Amino acid sequence: MLKAAVVGTGAISKEHLSYLSASDMAELVGVCDLSPVAAEYAAQRYGAKKAHTDLEQMLSDEQPEVVHILTPPHSHKAIAETCLKAGAHVICEKPIAANLEEFEALWQLARQCDRHLIEDQNYRFNDPIVKINNMVRDGVLGDVKEVDIRLCLKVRDGGPFANEILKHPIHRMPAGVIHDFITHMACLAVNYLPSFDSVTALWNNHGGGELFKFDDLDALVVGGDVHGRFRFSAQTLPESFSVTVRGTEGFAETDLFQPYLKCVIPRAGGQQLSPLVNHFVNGFGLVKASFVNFRNKLMQRTPYHGLQVLLDKTYAAIIAGQQPPVGYEDMKRTGQLIDLLVNSRADGND
Amino acid sequence: MEMTEQNPLKILITGASGFVGRYVVGEALKRGHSVKAVARSPENAKSLDWFEHANVELCVLDLLQQPQLTEALGDVDLVIHLAAAKEGDFYEQFSGTVLATEKLLAAMAEANVKRLIAISTFSIYEFKNRPTNALLDEDSPLVEDPLKRDGYTQTKLLQEQLYRKYADEQGGEVTILRPGMIYGREYLWHALLGAEIGNTLLRIGSNSTLPLSYVENCADAILDAAESASAIGQTLNIVDDNLPTQRDYVEELKRHTEPPKLKYMPWFVADGLARLAWWFNKTFLGGKALMPGILVPVELHARFKPLRYSNSRAKQMLGWTPKYSFRESLQRSCSREAESCPEAKS
Repeated sequence: MLKAAVVGTGAISKEHLSYLSASDMAELVGVCDLSPVAAEYAAQRYGAKKAHTDLEQMLSDEQPEVVHILTPPHSHKAIAETCLKAGAHVICEKPIAANLEEFEALWQLARQCDRHLIEDQNYRFNDPIVKINNMVRDGVLGDVKEVDIRLCLKVRDGGPFANEILKHPIHRMPAGVIHDFITHMACLAVNYLPSFDSVTALWNNHGGGELFKFDDLDALVVGGDVHGRFRFSAQTLPESFSVTVRGTEGFAETDLFQPYLKCVIPRAGGQQLSPLVNHFVNGFGLVKASFVNFRNKLMQRTPYHGLQVLLDKTYAAIIAGQQPPVGYEDMKRTGQLIDLLVNSRADGND
Repeated sequence: MEMTEQNPLKILITGASGFVGRYVVGEALKRGHSVKAVARSPENAKSLDWFEHANVELCVLDLLQQPQLTEALGDVDLVIHLAAAKEGDFYEQFSGTVLATEKLLAAMAEANVKRLIAISTFSIYEFKNRPTNALLDEDSPLVEDPLKRDGYTQTKLLQEQLYRKYADEQGGEVTILRPGMIYGREYLWHALLGAEIGNTLLRIGSNSTLPLSYVENCADAILDAAESASAIGQTLNIVDDNLPTQRDYVEELKRHTEPPKLKYMPWFVADGLARLAWWFNKTFLGGKALMPGILVPVELHARFKPLRYSNSRAKQMLGWTPKYSFRESLQRSCSREAESCPEAKS
């Protein structure tokens, strides 16, 4: 069992803390937040041994072996450095750093300290993504040629990002609010893109105003003969996170917020009957998904279930002395792609 | 020291542009006090009667901005804290209610402002384990298992704990007011009448007494508490006199307004269904299923259980009497009579 601690008790902490409080691979020894009441609430709610408001004090008193960094992105680097130097493995919320250079510096430090550094790339571990990856691995879709990722979120309709008076720190990041979500999109695509030869990114602020740098991204990345499309929209509803992977034999698509899996591939019945079989199979799959999603909603199984899988695999790997499921290449290539999207931007109406 | 018209106060009011806040600001101005009205949206405040009143200073800030709050508190005698988050997920409510209160109290300590009128809620009482028709007053037990109640109850309970800590550790002179369901022109078809299902209001029960506080009566009580030194250290329930039943309220309201589409379910049926759902959840789903509030007994009881209520302690401590009867309150709500500050326009 590893001694674990959490820094930052915002909304995402619920997912980490609920895992830590239930896992037999972790012992929650501390929770840290600048707000005493937030730290105390989280510690009490999830059974941490102690609440702290001073990170260094917590590291010194509790000697955690793993620290989960769940603070806003601009603070990740400094906190991660402190934790690594204190001898803790670090699991950090996305984006792990503001840019690739910062990530590489953190990685070097992690190597020097002989500690693991893991970015939360949770959606990679959601059931539909795992299934699509397996189909690709098994050649069901043929050779992958396209990946489309579309994330629609109402970031402008109230909530902390839209607070004009108390500006959320995410607005300080290079891509503003979209930087909070771009890791989710990039980390799902990098598996399929062998390289990033050509990057075109249109960044827009369709909602206008000074608060948001951007609320819309429309990007095309070409690596070899594989095309990656990235779309972030604050204007189109419903909220969704759709992923489509197209290969030479067929395609698979899902929506991670309302999960289903549509798979159009050659079926039994040959070229003539495959379209019909695909309709029947996918129609049945959609009906089944509606029941499964109802059950999941009732049983509070959320799109964050991938995070529980990621944490489980990570803790198991650390205990076994193996490499965690999110490694250097995953984080480096995700960071590279984000940097390219941010830096190659062709602004729209910005 | 009793504070009177001869001794006008400078009052900082949070949530000033909200449903209750606008009336509280109006009542404070009527009584000759000066107001620092804290609001996050100047656009909301601009539409209010008192916006251009000479004794109002609008402070556009978020309560999480402690330095700005401390500055705003510089020349203030007391704070009336109304702001709270009623919507959003638990963490949004935690931020808007608990963290905001933590910052406010820290700013008050920095600015050496001791006096606080803190607005709490009936929601933090225990309902499920009280006998039907029991008296609910200030001595009634608070919620036994907060995690089974909604985010509003959980965060308001944490907020009250902060108030008491401020009194104990910082020497805060705190009065906690727990209003029942505050209603008024802006909020008439309220949550104690039933559950909204699509465009239909499913009325649950008809004979339960409603723990109502008409918004002008409530504002009056809040200002009475602000002006009363004897209220320091007190926790007071605020409800009106001669409280109506659900049926009386709906029938009277129907005379004044066009009702939404209504369906009716007796209390015992709703209670039975909720108990059945809870049994099913516990027996077959490990208690992990997230049910709608009306199928969760603790939440259903908190809204619809027949209980009795008392305002005698508030009346005794504050010398307060609800000015408007239930029928007058509805009449004012459904006409233009109730203005948050009529003289501000003259």
